[in-house]
Amino acid sequence: MDNTPEPRSPRRITPSTSIKKSKPVKRKAPDEEVDEFKPKKRQSMANRGPEKRYVESSSEDEAPRGKKKAPSPMEIEDDSDEDDMDDFIDDDEEDDRGKKSKVKSKPPAKTKKVVMTKKETKLTPVKKAAAKVAAKKEEDEVQEPEEKPKPKYNWAAAKARAEAGPKAPGSKEIPEGVPDCLAGLTFVFTGELTSLGRDEAIELAKRYSGRVTGAPSSKTSYVIVGENAGKSKMDAIQKKNIPTLTEDEFLDLIRTRHGAELDEKQLKAQEKEQKKIEEAAMAMAAKEREEEKLRKRKEAAKAIPISSQLWTTKYAPQTAKDLCGNKAPIGRLLDWLKDWDKNFKSGFKKPGKEGLGIFRAVLISGPPGIGKTTSAHLMAKEAGYNPIELNASDARSKKLIEHHTNIDNASLDGFFQGAGAKTTVMDMRLDSKTCLIMDEVDGMSAGDRGGVGALNALIKKTRIPMILICNDKSLQKMKPLINTTYGMPFKRPGPNEVRSRIMSILYKEKLKIPTNVVDQLVQGANSDIRQVLNMLSTFKLGKSEMSFDEGKALLKVNEKNTIMTPFTIIDKLTGPYAFSHTNRETLNEKAELYFHDFSFVPLFMQEHYLKTLPARASKEDGPLKDLKHLDLVSKAADSISDGDLIDRMIHGSEQHWSLLPIHAFASTVTPASLIYGSINKPGYGGGFGPAFPQWLGQNSKQGKLSRQLTDIQIRMRLRVSGSRQEIREQYMPLLAGHIVSPLMDRGSDALDEVIEYMDEYYLSKEDWDAFVELGVDSMREEFVLKKIPSAVKSAFTRQYNKTDHPIAFHKGDLFAASKKKIADIGPAPDNEDVFEEDEPVPDEEEEKGDEEEDIDVTKDRLIKAVKPKVVKGKGKK
Amino acid sequence: MSLWVDKYRPRTLDDLHYHTELSSRLRSLSASGDFPHILFYGPSGAGKKTRIMCTLRELYGPGVEKLRIDQRVFVTPSGRKLDVNVVQSNYHIELTPSDVGMYDRVVIQDILKEIAQTQQVDLNAKQRFKVVIVNEADALTRDAQAALRRTMEKYMTNMRLILCATSTSKIIAPIRSRCLLVRVAAPDNGEMTKVLQHVAKKERFHLPDTACQSITSASGGNLRKALLVFEAMRMQRPDLQGDIEVAKPDWETYCAKVADSILQEQTAQRLLDVRGKLYELLSHCIPPTVVLKTISERIVDKVDDTLKPQIIHWAAYYELRMRMGSKKIYHLEAFVAKVMSVYKASMMGMLEDFDMTM
Repeated sequence: MDNTPEPRSPRRITPSTSIKKSKPVKRKAPDEEVDEFKPKKRQSMANRGPEKRYVESSSEDEAPRGKKKAPSPMEIEDDSDEDDMDDFIDDDEEDDRGKKSKVKSKPPAKTKKVVMTKKETKLTPVKKAAAKVAAKKEEDEVQEPEEKPKPKYNWAAAKARAEAGPKAPGSKEIPEGVPDCLAGLTFVFTGELTSLGRDEAIELAKRYSGRVTGAPSSKTSYVIVGENAGKSKMDAIQKKNIPTLTEDEFLDLIRTRHGAELDEKQLKAQEKEQKKIEEAAMAMAAKEREEEKLRKRKEAAKAIPISSQLWTTKYAPQTAKDLCGNKAPIGRLLDWLKDWDKNFKSGFKKPGKEGLGIFRAVLISGPPGIGKTTSAHLMAKEAGYNPIELNASDARSKKLIEHHTNIDNASLDGFFQGAGAKTTVMDMRLDSKTCLIMDEVDGMSAGDRGGVGALNALIKKTRIPMILICNDKSLQKMKPLINTTYGMPFKRPGPNEVRSRIMSILYKEKLKIPTNVVDQLVQGANSDIRQVLNMLSTFKLGKSEMSFDEGKALLKVNEKNTIMTPFTIIDKLTGPYAFSHTNRETLNEKAELYFHDFSFVPLFMQEHYLKTLPARASKEDGPLKDLKHLDLVSKAADSISDGDLIDRMIHGSEQHWSLLPIHAFASTVTPASLIYGSINKPGYGGGFGPAFPQWLGQNSKQGKLSRQLTDIQIRMRLRVSGSRQEIREQYMPLLAGHIVSPLMDRGSDALDEVIEYMDEYYLSKEDWDAFVELGVDSMREEFVLKKIPSAVKSAFTRQYNKTDHPIAFHKGDLFAASKKKIADIGPAPDNEDVFEEDEPVPDEEEEKGDEEEDIDVTKDRLIKAVKPKVVKGKGKK
Repeated sequence: MSLWVDKYRPRTLDDLHYHTELSSRLRSLSASGDFPHILFYGPSGAGKKTRIMCTLRELYGPGVEKLRIDQRVFVTPSGRKLDVNVVQSNYHIELTPSDVGMYDRVVIQDILKEIAQTQQVDLNAKQRFKVVIVNEADALTRDAQAALRRTMEKYMTNMRLILCATSTSKIIAPIRSRCLLVRVAAPDNGEMTKVLQHVAKKERFHLPDTACQSITSASGGNLRKALLVFEAMRMQRPDLQGDIEVAKPDWETYCAKVADSILQEQTAQRLLDVRGKLYELLSHCIPPTVVLKTISERIVDKVDDTLKPQIIHWAAYYELRMRMGSKKIYHLEAFVAKVMSVYKASMMGMLEDFDMTM
C-alpha cells in the first residue's frame, strides 16, 4: 500500500485541475437543488478508500483526452438518479412536442446559446415544470419565457460546457423540424451518441421521414458518428467519401432543413403514388357498393353488412394484384395449378420448366399473417378450382383422413364415372375442379394421430391438387412431407410492398396517417399485415388521425403480446449500451423483461454475466481494468447469490410469491447493470450471443449421479454403514484402488481380483460403470476408460457375465416384471409377507454356512447360484 | 477380501475399543427391558452406527445381523411415486428418509404407522418391540420431524426409535426431549492408535509409530477415514517405513487444483473455468459445503497472513448463504469471485481495510 501514492500523484496534478473546477460549476450553476445533493456525494466519495480515489482520479484525467466522455464509474452512480429524472422529462417533452407540432408550422431557428440554456433548465424538475406551464401558455414562443426566471445565468459555465461537450443524458434539446424535413436523406448511425440513444436517434430520423440503414453505402447521405465508432464503418465512410455529422450537427440539420427539397422527379413519383392509392381506394369503394347492392338484393339470406365486417375480412385481397409481396412464389403456385391437369395426365413424370411438374402437392410455409391462406385460396380460384379448406378446427387423424377422403377405395374415381357415385371430403362434394387446401398442417398434433402420415399417403394418390400450409416446415413431424411436396417458402413482405395497400385502405377509411407512420407500424408488427389492419381498425374507433408518437404508442401497446426468448432478453439487458446514459428504459421496464420468463431469465443471466466486457470497466487500463472487472463481477455474483436466497423464499415452503419483483432485481437487473457491455470473444461457449444455461444440464447430471450413488450405497449397505456422502468421499477413492486401478495398471490379470472385490460389496457391472462415472480429476470417467484397453474392458464384461454374483436385493420394478405372480398379490408394502414365506429356505442354508457370511439371500431366487461362490471365497480364507 | 474398515468392525458391545463407559450403559439399557428412544449423535466416523448395531445385537441376539434390503414404493398425496431403500431384519428396520428430499414426511408417516400398528409375531423374540433406525435424522424436514413426535409416544409399546445424526441442532426440541441423547464423540488420538494397532495385529504386520501418527493426524478424528487411509498406505508401501505421503482422495486433489487456479490468475475468464470445475465437483456428488471448505482451506494455506481472516470470513459468509439457498453453485461462484477480487486487490496493494463487523 505504501507505493500506491507514487503512481497516483503525477496523474492527479496537471490537466485535470481545470476540468475539475469547471465541472462542479457547470452542474451547480443553474440550480440550487442540484447544489444540495451533488457536493455531498462528492464528499462522501472522497472519504472512501484509496481504491476508489484512484478510480476517480484516473477517470478525471482522461477527460481532456477525449472531448466527450462517458461517465466514470463514480458518475454512473449519480447517473442512475439522473436517468430516472430524464425519463420523466422525456415523457413530458414528447407530449409537449406532440401538441406543439400540431399547432406550430415552423419553429424559429435557435442559436446555439439558446440551446444551452434549455439544456440547463432540464436538469431540474422544477424548471421543467415551469417550462411546461410556459409552453402551454405561449406555445409560439417557447424559449423566451424560459430565460426570464433565470437571472443568474452563468455564461462562463455554459461556455465551458459547450467546449467539453454535454455529458448529462438527454441534455440536448431535441429540435422540432418541419415535418418531412429529412425526406430523401439516408442516414447511418455509428458509435455511441452523447445525448441520444441509438434507438432515439433512429426514431428521430424516421420521424422526419429520413431513411436509416445499417451500413454506409454510396446512397448514404450522412453518417452520424458518435463515440467509439466501429472501425469498419469508419473505414467504409472514408473510402466512400460520405459526409459525416456529429450529433449536434445532426440536430442542427433537423432544426434548419426545410422539407420541400424534393426534386421534380420525386414529386412526380409521390404524386403518382398518391394517385394510385386513390384509384385503388375508389376501386375498393366501387366494389363495396356493388357487394352492398348484392347483399340488399338477397337480404333474406341475412348476409352481414360490409360495414360491420372486420377490416381483415373486408379488405382481404380479392385478386392476385391485391396480394402484398411474395410475387414469385405466388406466380409459381398459379402456374402449378394451371398445369395440374396436364401433369396429372402425364403421370407427374415431366418436371417442367421449374421442376414443379412432378409434384401433386405444394407445401407453403412462412410466418403468420403474411397471406399464405389467402394466396392459396385466390390462386385456386384464379386457376379455376374450387378450394376446400381443412384447418386445425377439423379433426385430421389418420382414421378420419382415410375415411373421409376415401383414399383407400376407388370412390375418389367417382366423379370420372358419372353422377352416380359421390366423392366427398368431410361431407363436401368433390369434383374434378376441386382443390384441397390443408391449412395449418403443423398444427396436427396429439389428437390427430398419424395424421401427417395419412396425409402423405393421400398426397401420393391424390387426383386433385393439394395445397398444404404450415408455419414451420423444419419441424420433425413435417419431415415426411418434404419429399412428396414442392416446398414454397413465403417471406414477410417488406414495408414497401405493404405500404401502398395499407395507404389505399386508409384513404378509403378516411384515416389520415403519414407514410412514415405506416412504415413504422408495418415494421413494428413484423410485416404482419393482419395485425396492422387490426391495430388500425381499433384505432379508427377513437381517432381519425395518427401522429408519429401515437403510432409508436400503438405499437407499444400491441408489442406486449409477444413474448421474448431469454436469449433476446439477455442480449437486451446486457447489451453495450443497456445501462449507459443514453438508454431511456426505466429500471422497471428492465425488470419487466424478467417477467417474460421468470424461471429462465435468471439462469441465463447467471450463465452470461462472466462473458461480457463490462462497459463500466472500459475506462480503465491494464491491471486496473482487470481489477475493476473482477470487482463488478464479484458484485454481480453477490447479487445473484442474493437472488437465490429470495428464490428459495419464493419456491420454498413459504411460497412468498410477492417477492418476485425483488427477485427480478436481485437475480437479473442488478447483475446486468453491473456487467453490461459487449460480449467477450464472440462465439465463446459455442455460438454467438448468450449461451444456454449449463445449470440445467449439470443439475440433471447431478441428479442422475446421485441416484446412482444411492444405488451403490444401498448395495454396499450390507457391508458398509456409511451414508451416501461418506461412501463418495471416503470409500470410493480407496475402493477405486481395488476395483478400477488394477484394470488400468495390470489389465486382464487383475480381473479375478476385481470381480471378487465387487462381489464382496455386492456391486454389479452397472454399479462399476456408475462408480467410474462418479470419479473426478485423475479418476475421471473419460480418463479411466481411456486407460483401460478395450480388450480388457470386453474381457471384464465377458468374465463378469460368465460367473454368478451375489445380489444384495432386487430392484422393485425388476422383481415385479420377472415375477408377475408376486406383483399380483398386492401393492408394494405386501412384498414383505412374500419374503417371509421364502424365509425358511435361506435360513436352513444359512445354518449350514458360516455365521459370518450374512449375505442377504432371504428373498433371492438366485440364492442357489450364489452360494457356491461364497463358499469358494471362504475356502480361500 | 473386504476392506479392513468393514472386516474388523466390532459386532458386540464388548468388542468396542473406546467409550467403554458408554458401552456399558448401552448394555444395561438393553438389559433393563425398558429401552428408550435414543438419539445417537456425533461426528462422522466416530462409530455411531457400529454402536447402534452392537446395541441391537445385545437386544435381539445375532438374528439382527441377517439383513435384507427392500425397495419400497411410497406414493405422495400428489400421486408421485417415491422409491425408498429400506434395510431390515426381523427385528428392526432402517431407513434414510432424507433420500427423497422434501417428501420425507410421507415416508416417515407410512413406515412408522405400519411398524407401529403390527405387533411382533415372533414369539421367540427377546423384545416385544421393533426398532426403527432413522439415518441422517438431522436432514429431516421440519414436517417429517413433526410427524415423528406423536407416533413416538403413541406406539411406544410396539416400537422404539433410534435416530442417528451428526448434530442435534437441527432436531426440533420436542423430539430431543422424547429421546435419550447419546453422544458418540470422535475418538482421540490414543484411542485411534489403539484401534489401528489392533487392526495391524490382526493383519499380522507391524505398524510403526510415525505412520500411525501421520494417519491419526490426517484423519481428524474420523476412524473410518483413518482405517481407509491406513489401508491405502499399506497398499502403497507395504513396509510403512519412512515418510509416507498420505494418499489424497480424487476430489480433494481436484479441489486443490481449483484453489491453485484461483490464486494463479484472477480474471472473469478464469472464474468461468473455475465454474466449470465447480460444476464437475458438484455433479459428481461432492457436497458443496465440503467443496467450499476444502478450497478455502487450501487458499488460506497459501495466502499472506493478512488475507487469511478475510478468506475465512467470506467462506463462512457464503457457506451460510449456501445452506439457506437452493442453487449452491451461485454461492460458490460468488465466493470465488470475492476471493479473486480480494486477492487481486491485495496483490496490487489496493485492498481496503477489512471490517470484520460487516
